Amino acid sequence: MKGLPLTFTAMLCIWCLSTGLAQSSEEALKPITRTYALKNVTIVTKPGQTIQNGTVIVKDGLIHSAGQNVSIPADAKIIPADSMFVYAGFIDALSNAGIPRPEVRPATGGGPGGGGGQGQRPTGINPGAPPNDLAGIQPEQNARELIKPSEKSIEDLRKLGFTNAHVAPIGRMLPGNSALISLGGSVADNMVVKDNFAMISQLVGAQGVYPQTVIAVMSKFRELYKQAEQAKAHEKMYAANPAGMARPAGDRSLQAFYPVLDKQRSICFVAPDLKSIYRVLALQQELKFPLILGGLRQAWPLVDQLKAQNIPVILSLDLPKMEKKEPAKKDSTAAKDPELERLEKRRADEMKLYETQAAAFAGKGINFGFSSLNAKTADIREAMRRMVKAGLKEDQALAALTTAPAAMFGVSQTMGTVEKGKIANLVVSKKSYFDEKSEVRYVFVDGTLYEYEASAPAARPGAAAAGRGAAPADLSKFLGKWSYTIDAGDQVFKGTITLTDDGGKIGGSWTGADGQSQSLSSPVLKGNDLTFNSTVNMGQELSLDFNLTFDGTKFSGKVKAGDFGVFPIEGSKEPRD
Amino acid sequence: MLVLGLNAQASKGSLLIKNGTVLTVTKGTLEGSDVLIENGKITKIGKSLSAPAGVKTIDATGKYVMPGIIDAHSHIAIDAVNEATNPVTAEVAVGDAIDPMDISIYRALAGGTTASHAMHGSANAIGGQCQTIKHRFGTLNPNEYPMEGAPRTIKFALGENPTRVHGIGRGIVPRTRMGVEFVIRKSFSEAKAYDEAWKKYNAEKASKPTALPPKYDRRLETLAAVLNGQILIHCHSYRADEILMLMDVCKDFGVKKITFQHVNEGFKVAPELAAFGASASVFADWWAYKFEVYYSTAYNAAILTKNGVVTSINSDDAGYIRHLYHEAAKTQYYGGLTDDEALALITINPAKQLGVENRIGSLEVGKDGDVAIFDGHPLSVYGVPVFSIVDGIVRFDRANDPDDMRLDVDPIRATTTFQMAAGHHNHDRCMQGVQEAMEQLFQLKN
Repeated sequence: MKGLPLTFTAMLCIWCLSTGLAQSSEEALKPITRTYALKNVTIVTKPGQTIQNGTVIVKDGLIHSAGQNVSIPADAKIIPADSMFVYAGFIDALSNAGIPRPEVRPATGGGPGGGGGQGQRPTGINPGAPPNDLAGIQPEQNARELIKPSEKSIEDLRKLGFTNAHVAPIGRMLPGNSALISLGGSVADNMVVKDNFAMISQLVGAQGVYPQTVIAVMSKFRELYKQAEQAKAHEKMYAANPAGMARPAGDRSLQAFYPVLDKQRSICFVAPDLKSIYRVLALQQELKFPLILGGLRQAWPLVDQLKAQNIPVILSLDLPKMEKKEPAKKDSTAAKDPELERLEKRRADEMKLYETQAAAFAGKGINFGFSSLNAKTADIREAMRRMVKAGLKEDQALAALTTAPAAMFGVSQTMGTVEKGKIANLVVSKKSYFDEKSEVRYVFVDGTLYEYEASAPAARPGAAAAGRGAAPADLSKFLGKWSYTIDAGDQVFKGTITLTDDGGKIGGSWTGADGQSQSLSSPVLKGNDLTFNSTVNMGQELSLDFNLTFDGTKFSGKVKAGDFGVFPIEGSKEPRD
Repeated sequence: MLVLGLNAQASKGSLLIKNGTVLTVTKGTLEGSDVLIENGKITKIGKSLSAPAGVKTIDATGKYVMPGIIDAHSHIAIDAVNEATNPVTAEVAVGDAIDPMDISIYRALAGGTTASHAMHGSANAIGGQCQTIKHRFGTLNPNEYPMEGAPRTIKFALGENPTRVHGIGRGIVPRTRMGVEFVIRKSFSEAKAYDEAWKKYNAEKASKPTALPPKYDRRLETLAAVLNGQILIHCHSYRADEILMLMDVCKDFGVKKITFQHVNEGFKVAPELAAFGASASVFADWWAYKFEVYYSTAYNAAILTKNGVVTSINSDDAGYIRHLYHEAAKTQYYGGLTDDEALALITINPAKQLGVENRIGSLEVGKDGDVAIFDGHPLSVYGVPVFSIVDGIVRFDRANDPDDMRLDVDPIRATTTFQMAAGHHNHDRCMQGVQEAMEQLFQLKN
């Protein structure tokens, strides 16, 4: 399933050599041709426009031609694409792809009872007036400086058909400026399509230091905005006539606001929930900055208003998933509780509102993009299918992935459709992309081909059966001791999880930072996803919900720690003793 | 569900309440009388009023009609209570974090409470700004909750809370009650200097091209507005000595309006409070939840009232806010207050403390149509709220009270049967959010 730049030599290498071959040496090999011909393919040139039995020629990184009567150049590598669909490469309109998680430095000096062995904590930081990086005030940062081409997130998105992403630095209230990048390549600078596109902001407080709560973030935002206006005016006056005037302070965080003050750059506010959206709209109304709303999950009550205000919107692909209750066999004969049924119906109705959000926006004729922010890669295609099932037309979904973001980022001339002269960013799927059985087979990024194998048809029914519990799942690859690291922002927790075969079901224990071992509570393994929960006593009872996805000898996921928030967790298999 | 735009005016309604016992609080009790509300305002109070065309009527025969109850101290309907990272955080405002989906708003309505003062917590000597809200439950728009035209208010805090969080917790000022006074005086002095610097700049900027404005500082902007009387102080306090201290500080800086919150030892300094013109917002009989609140008496409200201090009884709690009328009734047992005096503790007096007495807190022509209707006398244990009306709109109707009034439903987790949260009411909710902050700071463990 691993996607590799497909070259003939590289294929030979994979064929002949062991899988231990270093990725870098494969990347280094030049393709023998940069010309490709997708033959007999259904070309979805743009949402709502299709050419049957067409041919797409990719040459020198561009779409050379696309249509029915196209002659194939002699040097083209021919890709038979019968029964396949080709679309313009998808654009993730708000993402952290390619941005490594920043190394966090702890916020405060050691206090009484501070857990030992969790890293040095610098002392002397006043939590009421921390340095800007700890406060999450880094609007001077730039995604371009942070991109790491080897980040797994790039490959993960590409596998789904995304060829470009609008990437934001990772941080808190003001993490920096975004960039539109190509999801392929080995040199960060070459990947950047558009630099300094938007200033990213979100109502996310700092860890343990000012501004910690949303009320302080709101206040700090206003203060920085006004201070930036002052600083800009000061610089202008000083440039005109400096004599006798105090020299401007040259604060780079305030200077980062200048393009926004000039209305040359938008603030892309990440506001997933309804209350955050209202708060951001209130700030916008007060300060009048150009606004893009990003990562919206709960915006349906505001469809009309956002349309009236003509605010660009990016909807979240992080669709909530219903937690399934364990079927209680012994209760199956018991009378149904009508109150519980009413409550469950409300929950289902609420879920429908999340699923129909995109259709609601499309129905009002609003162009929107999709954001992968906080979405699990494995859930993204299902999220799209759920939205389509809930009323979003496939054309509208495709527009949200191609033409709409291309327009939003001002790159419609080069991206968003399968047309001659555009950049060869393409996704080729078996069957229509939104079909449940569809699979992405080829992705072109800037004319470079990535191929993905078809999944083995026999594997599927077995896996599905295991998911239903009809056949015992193969637990062997999960069993054993795993080490984990939880990144709680200002500190890192480490420990181990030991998974055991509990009579055909997954079981085991985990140890916290204090070394105490606890058994996993209600562990559920589905495919490669393991969930379990636990409680720890941190002065008060704190419930922890683990949600892990295993991939070979590694896993990653999230831990929800009571009301404190959700923290990333990753880990790997410990070598056997 | 009604969802209005960002700036939409909160909706207002018209209603005729017929033939009830009208407890006006300020103008006596009117038997068999009617109250007419038109477009959110009380337009007539009298006998045999008739409803204008299209206006609905509530038959209040045998029922008691009183002003909507006002809670001068609560923490419901907000997503953040304490910004506990600094001893002074005047610039933050809980009005930025209104949570229209908080089910506590509906529960407060079910107790006849139609308005409340959502307060910042007491972790800091000078906390954040508070917000007077009307309980217009049913809209998702947070901007519809703040009461239009209500003066700005700010939370101050004396005593154990700020000294514990900052002094003990971080080893910084204030560690003692002296330290709290120092922090407040220092902040006021800085605000005064800031205000003067702006005045100087504004005066000379036209004539002096090199003049530069002071660096914009929201904390000092806010404190300057406190000194200029534009923001009312509501100060968390318990001990008599610190109450006197803050009145001295206010005198020194020319601050005239202050309400002391909790103020358990207020009875010791009631004449001094009255002389200053300070108000007091107290618990009926809640005490001993920490050292500084041991010297308490259930006669506090009555003593303060009899000494001429404008006194209210508050909840500070999502549970108590549902039966403030019981809390007020306790003052009749402890102190023998009259019905009107007791009712004033939860109506006109908190309205005065919030600076909205011209709008709510009594049933008078021209005031807002905020009304609570009880099926018995509200000061009787048999009185049960049956209607709560805000701006002429029925927001709670006991006869039409569905089980599930949530505005926000978690789509992820399977619904389980309701479990009563382990109720612990051992410290005031003013410290909400601090525990989390402390844990983040110090990884506090048992």
